[in-house]
Amino acid sequence: MNSTRCLLLLLGRSGRSAVQHAALLQSASSSQPSVLQSKVLRHFHGSSACAKNRPVPGQFNEDDKKRDRSLVAHEDLFEQLAKDVKTKATFNKVIEVFTKRDIRRRGHVEFIYAALKKMPEFGVERDLAVYNKLLDVFPKEVFVPRNFIQRMFNHYPRQQECGVQVLEQMENYGIMPNVETKVLLVQIFGEKGHPVRKYQRLMYWFPKFKNINPFPVPKQLPEDPVDLARFSLTRIANDLDAKVTVYQLPHTDVTESGAEITLPHIIGIQSPSQMELLAKHNPNRPVFVEGPFPLWLRKTCVYYYILRADPTPPEEKVEELYDPERCLDYPLQLDLDLDRDFGDEESFDVEDLDEGPVFAMCMTSQGDQATLNQWISGLQENNPILGQVPTLFRLDSGPRELQGVADGESHHSYQPHPETQGQEPEPGEEAEVIVEEEPRRSQGTKQ
Amino acid sequence: MLLQKITRLRPVRLLSSIHQQQLLLPSTTALSVPRRSVIQNEYRRPGQPRENKFPWQKINFDFSKGLQGIKKHFALLKKEFLARWVGPQGKPILEHMLEQNRVIWEFRGPESLEQWTLSSDQEIGGQSEIYLKLGKNTNTCFLYGTLSSVPPRDGETRYSGYCTMRSKQPLASFDRKEHYDWTSFNTLHLRVRGDGRPWMINLAAEMYFSHQKDDIYSYFLYTRGGPYWQEVKIPFSKFFLSHRGRIQDDQHPVWLDKVNTIGFTLGDKADGPFQLEIDFIGVCKDYAHTEEFAYEVYKRNPEV
Repeated sequence: MNSTRCLLLLLGRSGRSAVQHAALLQSASSSQPSVLQSKVLRHFHGSSACAKNRPVPGQFNEDDKKRDRSLVAHEDLFEQLAKDVKTKATFNKVIEVFTKRDIRRRGHVEFIYAALKKMPEFGVERDLAVYNKLLDVFPKEVFVPRNFIQRMFNHYPRQQECGVQVLEQMENYGIMPNVETKVLLVQIFGEKGHPVRKYQRLMYWFPKFKNINPFPVPKQLPEDPVDLARFSLTRIANDLDAKVTVYQLPHTDVTESGAEITLPHIIGIQSPSQMELLAKHNPNRPVFVEGPFPLWLRKTCVYYYILRADPTPPEEKVEELYDPERCLDYPLQLDLDLDRDFGDEESFDVEDLDEGPVFAMCMTSQGDQATLNQWISGLQENNPILGQVPTLFRLDSGPRELQGVADGESHHSYQPHPETQGQEPEPGEEAEVIVEEEPRRSQGTKQ
Repeated sequence: MLLQKITRLRPVRLLSSIHQQQLLLPSTTALSVPRRSVIQNEYRRPGQPRENKFPWQKINFDFSKGLQGIKKHFALLKKEFLARWVGPQGKPILEHMLEQNRVIWEFRGPESLEQWTLSSDQEIGGQSEIYLKLGKNTNTCFLYGTLSSVPPRDGETRYSGYCTMRSKQPLASFDRKEHYDWTSFNTLHLRVRGDGRPWMINLAAEMYFSHQKDDIYSYFLYTRGGPYWQEVKIPFSKFFLSHRGRIQDDQHPVWLDKVNTIGFTLGDKADGPFQLEIDFIGVCKDYAHTEEFAYEVYKRNPEV
């Protein structure tokens, strides 16, 4: 009969229906076609989830028997499979082992939480491909709500929460998701679920805030201390005309006694305006070498030293007259007796801070007086006045005075390089200096 | 409070049922997202027992302090009455209308430090510290401390490591709340000297509904580091709305007529000491800035 042949063709695919189609043939000969049709329809109306979770082919079952069925926590799985080598490859391997183990991915939520916790150990927390692979662990299309009631009632809340946590870890590390993440999330959770909403928020706010730093720091800082010092000095100099000079490169030297000492790098920066200020400095007043001051670049802290002087007291201030021939297009100074209205006041009613001029900055890994002396003598080549001016060193020594607890060293385990003196982040005072310390940093002058 | 207790039990029970199904040991801490009840009480540090004191038991009575208080409040009251005769908000009307720059916070003496409150994650059990003192030249404030992002071990908190300095709410006579009125300005102007760390500036405005109590308008303050002072100008149109640290979907520009406090927060996950010097904080009117709001106001995540 025609109908039974069609039925045979349609039912030919499923393995287990070999028995069933024999029964159907029997029933086809005897019963009416409507009953046949209803039996056939019942097969096609099985849920789509069932159709996907078909019995897996034979090879998996054999593997199950071979593996021992001990109770293994997910974190231990990571430890087992990646004993010594913790790299991206082994992390991916662990994920693959989990996905291949069970077609239904039982326990995937706990596995994903464990994987998120283990990511920093493996060093893959900033890798978008790994996050996409982790999202791939979720079974697809099972958690997509199929009608408005399911959408309303937070369909599969644990899995949605887990998806949101994956995205939250991406947000914490500042990783922008890509189109593959969106496709995965839509496949897994549907378009109106919490993870996709969170993805949309990430894609809205991250681009808005990506480039708002007016002093951007590159993600990959230079490894070489000389290059790092060069970069940070140009950053704090705030002057594009400033010139960086390398006074000494780091190298090891053998002294007369045969001991090997490592000499640190000394890199300084000075701009032409700073050179002018130094040239105008009164040789009777001392200049101070102060430091170390901290500078943070993302997660690394570097230290710099400055050469500055106290502000000139008002009686010694020499007013510089503008040379009228410097600019013939318009007068540089106007002696008009005009009053400014309220609406035209463009400056704030604050006293101007005069902290004294800064003449130069330097960075070195070893901040003792000998190294800084080298820096000063290097500066002297371009600023001969330094030979006559007394130089005082105000380097930090001793713990913070204000905290009352004398343990300045306990905080400083983060430092990338050791320094001989106590490093305090705030400018400390040298014990011998009796003179009250004047403000040590100059205002931003014209830039 | 009862509501919180009930809703807390439910997620734990659900998770345990899932565990029974899968016969696995709980390898990670169960992610119990605390359900927020509709009425939000004062912040309770996780792990601390709830205080069962009645509100009247918390007041302590003292005669000399009372006298001082009376003197202070009546003096403030008198000043307020007389200020009305001078002009709006105690300033002559021309000055009020045409003012272009106003310095709100300056640090000219130890009493200026009384206007600020410091807070760090030690309140939730963390290890960051923050201190405030006058700068070396007594004209600036020096905010310094150590940041530590080790989370407290109370089973609930996952992230930690923040330090903040917040201005106190201005008070009129008899401890009535007063607000700053910055409607005639559109830019926040600061002069700071940082150490290269990124800070966040938070403005808290007076809101109408109690649910909006923790609404904060924030923006970032990037410091350059170095020995030179840095002038930072942030227009108020750039401040985005966040509630309890979560940036919101419905954004609107900050309403400047009732600003309560300003705050500076550091939470950049870089452990170590930090410092920030602030010279002054002022507001100014920038005629060249015509932007009303920097973010989209329409609903970007419409519901189903």
